[in-house]
Amino acid sequence: MPQRIIKLLLLTTCLVLSAVTCLGQSTTGTVSMSATVSKFVEINSGGAVTLTGNSGGGVTTDGVVNTPLAVSINLGELGPSNTNSFVTAQVPLKLRSNAGYVLSMSATVTSSGSTTNKIGAADVGFGLGTITRSGTGVNTTGTDTNATSGDPTLAANGAVNGASGRYEFTAVRSNLSAFSSATTALSGAFIMNAVPRSNSNGLTVPAFFAVKPQFFENGTTTISVTFTVTAP
Amino acid sequence: MRLRNLIYSLLAVLILVAVAQTTSAQALDISSGGQPTITGAVNGSVTGSASVLNDLVVTINFGEVSPLNTNSIVKVTVPIAIRSNQPYQVAVSMTGLSNANAQALQPSDVGLGLQNIRVLGGAGKICTQSTHIIRAPFDNDPATSATVGSSGRVSYPSSLGSLSGSTIILSGPQLSKNNSVNRQQSDGYVFDAIFAVTPQFFATGVSSATLIFSIAAGPNVPC
Repeated sequence: MPQRIIKLLLLTTCLVLSAVTCLGQSTTGTVSMSATVSKFVEINSGGAVTLTGNSGGGVTTDGVVNTPLAVSINLGELGPSNTNSFVTAQVPLKLRSNAGYVLSMSATVTSSGSTTNKIGAADVGFGLGTITRSGTGVNTTGTDTNATSGDPTLAANGAVNGASGRYEFTAVRSNLSAFSSATTALSGAFIMNAVPRSNSNGLTVPAFFAVKPQFFENGTTTISVTFTVTAP
Repeated sequence: MRLRNLIYSLLAVLILVAVAQTTSAQALDISSGGQPTITGAVNGSVTGSASVLNDLVVTINFGEVSPLNTNSIVKVTVPIAIRSNQPYQVAVSMTGLSNANAQALQPSDVGLGLQNIRVLGGAGKICTQSTHIIRAPFDNDPATSATVGSSGRVSYPSSLGSLSGSTIILSGPQLSKNNSVNRQQSDGYVFDAIFAVTPQFFATGVSSATLIFSIAAGPNVPC
C-alpha cells in the first residue's frame, strides 16, 4: 500500500512538472538567424560596338549596355582593296563581382582558304584597353591585371615581319592564337561593394579586335570569341 | 515514519510549485504568436511553432543573399504573442553578426521592424487610457521602407544595427484580462516582428545572429 501511494505521488509530480513545462510562462524567446553570401560574377555588354577602318561590313548585332554580351560583327573586306591600316572592332565589356575575378577568353578562327596565306588566328589582333572602375557602389580602389598588351594596333604591339612581309601582332597575348583555349585576359579584386544588383555600375573595359588588310588568300573567315568570368 | 516524511515532502513540493505558478500566473509571458513566414528567399527557410501555446523558438535561414538571389528582398514575418497582468515592455538583445569586413553582411543590413499589434482573442485586455507603443525607430515594415543610401547600399529605418544591448522595442498597459495559470489561446496580444534582407554584392561568407526577445514589467501606465 505505501509503495502504491509513493508511485502515485511521483506520477502526479511528474505530470504537474510536465504541464508546467509545456504550458508555463516564459519571459524570453529566441530567434536565431543565418544568411549565406556566395561568390557572384557576371559579364554583360558595356554598350555599343565601335567598328572603324572597315570597307563594307558593319555591326550585325550590337551590344546593349547591361544586357548579356552577344554581338555579331561583319569586318567587311580585309584584302588590299581596303586601304585602311586596320579594321578595328571595339567591344565594351562590363564585369561585376563580389569576389576576386578572372576573365578568360577562348577563340576560334576558321577560314575557307586552303593555304597558309588564309586568315589565321595570329592575323586577328586582340587586346583589352583601359580598365575603368567608377560609379556609386564600385570598389574603385581595387586593382586589376591586364594580361594582354592593350590595343593591338599600337605600334609597339605589332609590325611587318621582315622576312615574310606579313604583318604580325607580336606582343604578349596580342592575337587570337594565344587564346586557342581558355586563357586569362584580365583579373582583379572584387568589383562591387555591398550594393544591390539593381545598381548598374561596374568595371568596364573595351575589347579590341583588329585585322590588318593584306594579300590574304581570298575566302571567308569566321571568328568566334567566348568570354568567361569566374571567381576562383 | 520515513514513509510519512517522504509523502509530506512530496506534497510540500507540489504545493510550492502550485503556489509559485499561481503567484506568477500570467504576470509576464512571451511565446510564439503563430506560424512564421518567409518570402523572396533562395534556399532559405523559417521554422517555428504555429501554436501560441508554445515558446518562442524561431530559426530563420535567409538563404542566399548575394545577387544570385534575384528577388528584390527576403522578408520574414515572425508573430510574437505577449501576455501580462501589468504594464509591460518588450526588449531585444543580439549576439553574433560581427563581420570585420565592411562589405560583408552587417547588423545594419538586416532590417527589423514591428507591425500589426493586435488582440489575441477575447481574453486580451483592451485598455482605454494607454496605448501599446512601438518604440522608435522600430515602427515600420523594413521590407517596404528600404532605401538606397548615397553609397549605393540599402538601408532601413530600423535594423539589427539599431539594437544596443537590451533595447526596448515595445511597451504598454496590461495585456491580459484573466489570471490563468497557463498560457491560453486567447489571452494577450500578438505583434509581427519583421526581418528583411536585400540581396546585394556582399562579401562572401555565412553570417549568423541570435536575438533574445524578453518581456518585463514596464512603465506604470494606466489601463
